[in-house]
Amino acid sequence: MPREALTVKGDDMDELLSKDEFRTALEDAIKGREAKNASFSMAWANGELKREHFARWAENHYHYVGPFADYLAYIYAHTPDHATDAKDFLLQNMYEEELSDVRHTDLLIRFAEACGTTRERVMDERNMNAVTRGLQGWCYAVAMREHFAVATAALVVGLESQVPSIYRKQYPPLIEAYGFGEDDVEFFDLHITSDEVHGERGYQIVLDYADTPELQQRSLDLVRAGAEMRFAYTKSLYDTYVAPDLERV
Amino acid sequence: MPTIRYVTSGCAVDFADGDDVNMLRVAIRNECHVPYRCASGNCGTDRVHVEDGHENLSAPRRRERERLGDLLDDGWRLACQTYVSGDCSVTWDPDQTALDERATDRSLPDAVNERLARRWLSAEDTD
Repeated sequence: MPREALTVKGDDMDELLSKDEFRTALEDAIKGREAKNASFSMAWANGELKREHFARWAENHYHYVGPFADYLAYIYAHTPDHATDAKDFLLQNMYEEELSDVRHTDLLIRFAEACGTTRERVMDERNMNAVTRGLQGWCYAVAMREHFAVATAALVVGLESQVPSIYRKQYPPLIEAYGFGEDDVEFFDLHITSDEVHGERGYQIVLDYADTPELQQRSLDLVRAGAEMRFAYTKSLYDTYVAPDLERV
Repeated sequence: MPTIRYVTSGCAVDFADGDDVNMLRVAIRNECHVPYRCASGNCGTDRVHVEDGHENLSAPRRRERERLGDLLDDGWRLACQTYVSGDCSVTWDPDQTALDERATDRSLPDAVNERLARRWLSAEDTD
């Protein structure tokens, strides 16, 4: 069967894809929806933002990535014991987010403070916009309700695996165009590389444990949805905080 | 099509012209058995010696410079921190462990212990 016929949105698969076919389909499910191409990301990479825009980004981003270990913990709780490698991956990912080094959200707050906002403002959930609230809620719902392979597909493949491509584009201008110091932007530098490995191991879990046509189809649907959620979240930052500034000019 | 040669495990992996790919991610995906632990540039378990193709590797990142120090000048790189844009060959010791054992120590880092103590223990307990 041609690959295109297996991955068209809305089509239900009736046969199991090989791991190579499934991997390609997962990668295709993200294409065209990459957050690196959303308006806020483009403006960031083009050196068009001001520090207050980054401050608003941090005040939103905290509420999306801050609970990432919580999302993973929900997945961990309903991953069966026999899937030891999947459980180990989830636990290690949680450990790295929270304990292995500087807590990742503390690095985000360090960047936020360099942008002129405060830890209190970043942590205050009233400062996120409605789309960020929707993304956070979607992450919790997927983590709590879906099969562990499907949830891993959504959150690790659909969302986390995009991080290196986003931050590799956004990190250089932070130093060169916006004038931040290396300490200020360690959050981005760290995630460029660590999420390469998280993303790859996430793919392996999904390829190994989404082992029925139904689980593969559900994984593809939620990877697509996750990519759309992250794109919408990133676009909304531009619409909410950047576009009004441009209109005033 | 450029090729990464993981000489120690006998793997050779091609990637598309124009791409630049993470050396450790490619090794994991293709089961090339480069040892690694933290994948964040802290522990140094995934250090590889570059035999050929230095010019096709990304500039060393901050954590890599801090972790490897003088080893960088001797041709070592951290696979997790290195992006490859053309042919290269790397070797390593299959039994190598972390450069900084503290980074892979199962016990919690000092800062975390202090944070947990503040959260869970009374002032008298921590005196």
